[in-house]
Amino acid sequence: MSTSPVAIYLHTPFCPSKCGYCDFNSYAMTGEIIDQTVEAIILELERSPWRGTSAKTIFFGGGTPTFLSEKQLTRLLHKVLEIHPPVPGCEITSEANPGTVDMPKFAAMVQAGFNRISLGAQSFEQSDLLTLGRVHEPSHIARAVAMAREAGFRNLNLDLMFALPGQSRKAWSINLQTAIDLKPDHLSLYCLTIEPNTRYYRLNLRGMLDLPDDEVQREMYEEAVTKSSQFGYRQYEISNFAQEGKECQHNLCYWRNECYYSYGPGAVGCFEDQEGRRLRYTNMKHPSLYVEAISLGKKLWCDEDLIDPKTSEFEQIMLGIRLNSGLDVSRVSVDTRSIKTLVRRGWVTHKENYLFLTPEGRHFCSEVALLLSPN
Amino acid sequence: MDQSLIRNFCIIAHIDHGKSTLADRILEATGAVRGTAQEQMLDTMELERERGITIKMTAVRMTYTAKDGNTYQFNLIDTPGHVDFTYEVSRALYACEGALLLVDATQGVEAQTIANANMAMNQNLTIIPVVNKMDLPHADLEMAKEEIENALAIDASEAIPCSAKTGLGLIDILEAIVERIPPPNGDPEAPLRALIFDSHFDSYQGAVTYCRVKDGMVKPGDKIKMMSTDKVFSVDEVGVFRPALERGSELSTGEVGFVTGAIKSIGDASVGDTITSAENSATVALPGYRKAKPMVFCGLYPTDSDEYEDLRDAIEKLRLNDASLDFEPETSAALGFGFRCGFLGLLHMEIARERLEREFGLDLILTAPSVDYIVHRTKGDELHISNPSDMPPPNEIARIEEPVVDATIMVPNEYVGAVMTLCQERRGVFKRSEYPTHKRTTIYYSLPLAEILLDFFDKLKSSTRGYASFDYEFSGYQDSELVKVDIMLNGDVVDALSFIVNRTFSYPRGRAIVEQLRKVVPRQQYEVKIQAAIGAKIIAADVIKPFRKNVIAKCYGGDVSRKRKLLEKQKKGKKRMKNIGSIEVPQEAFLSVLKVAE
Repeated sequence: MSTSPVAIYLHTPFCPSKCGYCDFNSYAMTGEIIDQTVEAIILELERSPWRGTSAKTIFFGGGTPTFLSEKQLTRLLHKVLEIHPPVPGCEITSEANPGTVDMPKFAAMVQAGFNRISLGAQSFEQSDLLTLGRVHEPSHIARAVAMAREAGFRNLNLDLMFALPGQSRKAWSINLQTAIDLKPDHLSLYCLTIEPNTRYYRLNLRGMLDLPDDEVQREMYEEAVTKSSQFGYRQYEISNFAQEGKECQHNLCYWRNECYYSYGPGAVGCFEDQEGRRLRYTNMKHPSLYVEAISLGKKLWCDEDLIDPKTSEFEQIMLGIRLNSGLDVSRVSVDTRSIKTLVRRGWVTHKENYLFLTPEGRHFCSEVALLLSPN
Repeated sequence: MDQSLIRNFCIIAHIDHGKSTLADRILEATGAVRGTAQEQMLDTMELERERGITIKMTAVRMTYTAKDGNTYQFNLIDTPGHVDFTYEVSRALYACEGALLLVDATQGVEAQTIANANMAMNQNLTIIPVVNKMDLPHADLEMAKEEIENALAIDASEAIPCSAKTGLGLIDILEAIVERIPPPNGDPEAPLRALIFDSHFDSYQGAVTYCRVKDGMVKPGDKIKMMSTDKVFSVDEVGVFRPALERGSELSTGEVGFVTGAIKSIGDASVGDTITSAENSATVALPGYRKAKPMVFCGLYPTDSDEYEDLRDAIEKLRLNDASLDFEPETSAALGFGFRCGFLGLLHMEIARERLEREFGLDLILTAPSVDYIVHRTKGDELHISNPSDMPPPNEIARIEEPVVDATIMVPNEYVGAVMTLCQERRGVFKRSEYPTHKRTTIYYSLPLAEILLDFFDKLKSSTRGYASFDYEFSGYQDSELVKVDIMLNGDVVDALSFIVNRTFSYPRGRAIVEQLRKVVPRQQYEVKIQAAIGAKIIAADVIKPFRKNVIAKCYGGDVSRKRKLLEKQKKGKKRMKNIGSIEVPQEAFLSVLKVAE
């Protein structure tokens, strides 16, 4: 068992409503199931095989963690901190929806120990938020930022999405500027992805989503990169930009292919067993099933993925190449002929042991990973 | 066995008219199987399989004690139900003296019934009309009888109403078999002549031939000779299926059963061939033997070129059990090494492909099926061309002949117009029509075989709301104005996509295929030009825009496994694609020629 500090993830699957593009494990549920789930997560933590391993980072994701009450959030975080004592300076993040926060909640969260807040802003256009199915309004975003700052969050992220149905380049440009004007410490700028099993997927199949074409999507992305750098946000991953020293430590653990322990319905964790074998597990997804499994002491996982060394190397390539710090090819075996091909295409540069995506190569990150992976 | 107590017969029916149900009832009634027929038959089959014997329910021996007090030997010979196997049907019929003509009381006579009944009548079989499904509320005995008389010119006054489901009329059928079907009248003293009407390959016993003894007799230890090849074998076993395998001491004149004799190749037990005695040979073989003649050809290529040898082994193994499968090596610039295979028809091709993929675990690329063209060259010789890329340049061609079939289509009157339009579109030549009842029409057309290889049957079904029935028979060759259309990707001809088509249809079909390819070829790094051309003349063109970005937005802890699996799948998909120049072309592209909607 690993004794060095590990990233800890906690999943709260509840949302006020389900957004059309969202394929996360989230449910628009209310009532006692929420309390039951919180209690079940507490039990899962208490029974954790990794009790005592200290936390390198802690991240509450969802769903909408801030859909929970102050009391529930505090109780959960306190339990995490008890089971996984944080290292000094431990980054403790919670995602939040600008529509489900208020001053007392932020204050309670800071009080409980959260030191980073990630706001799902997505867009500042009322019409975008409506089609996306978000519950918040544009004005909530600035208010939420102001409240978070006042409550004491000195590390704040805004999530924005581009290539939304019907979105123009200009509209994206304005959105981006509006976000930057709010002076977040970190920006996550995502191209809308149409995932299977979502309302958007079905609409798109019927040709009912007016999505910008590939060329426009590329331009939107390129603008995201240039504009954020103009304002001091250094790109450190394909979709992530941060002021100096404000890179998300938790997410970096994923891209560095480290282990992470996770709790809650549908949470995905990754660990190494005594023999050093890597395993990725997924908890029961539906809150009721999760609660039932916990209360009956049944097996909690609904899926496990044993990752052999070769597969792990492929993941290392797929994840590592996303980082601006580059992929260390001395640590994984890559197809060397492909490197030449990729350099010739202008998709990667090769410096010493490291491969870096070029700005053009960032558009083809999957293709690059495929080519690099040996057979 | 006294020949006068033997009755050899088969059942002629259109698909779904109840042939196998009636066969089951007859097996039960004669005590060949009891009560829970299915179970018992399966049990026996399972047992035989354990002993390494595969049973093909081709001919079943039954015993029936008739009202006249005599006990008769019945041999029920099964006939394949598909137009691809017309020759096999004709041989099975030749092994019988009579046939039950089974007609559905709610459907009437169908095209397949006509084709097979005509074949049976040409061979002078006694035909017993049986009208099945009389238990159904809308059964119409008079309509069915009228159709039998009008469409087949068979006296239906003594047609037997029956229900294979309830058993109604079953005894009448059995008695009619005894009374109406003549016994065999072979010469027991003459040298052995036995007709092979089917065979299968068994890894222990070699080829197991199913035969009908016309003259003389055969027993274990006999030296036998195949009259088409003069090859001699020593008989190991003879016997019958009841339906369980039952070895016997001999097969005597008039009887039906199996013969084994360490026949190592199924090609030495060809359907239609005559078995005779090696020592006391018959001078004249039984009539009607011909070599199986493939009608449809296509290229078979392994998706992974490393599997070429595996494909060869697999095809050879398949041929052990299927003498009508023809193949020879061929090379394609686009697909590498593979085989040109000949099949009896499209169904035969589909079966072979499925078995190769499923039983041998191969990933195959099939090129579009083609027929066998006779190309007369200006210098006077003629070539048989079944691969479009072998077509000589236009200036060397004097004329081309293509195979044609006689098609029989039966349809309710209101769809006659639709059927004729379809046949006309497919270059059909109207021959005549008949009116078996006032509600239905039988239409006879001459159609180029190539035209029914595409989606003819689907189109026929959809334009008649499923009411049309269809059958065809090879009738010969005729001159046709044919051209070869090449398909090019970024200027390079993809030989495996070339096709031969009547000039009139070259433009629409070229366009349709280009369109289809645009849909199935994935976007590449570069722009891909797709063109169709006759010689140097471009007749259709389209472009696949290059892909400009991946889906890359996010990848966090919960996404890793899923993203990885997606990429792994993509990687596998890439392996299944053929690289033609720098363009990755998926398997289905090579069949796009088939899927063209006009």
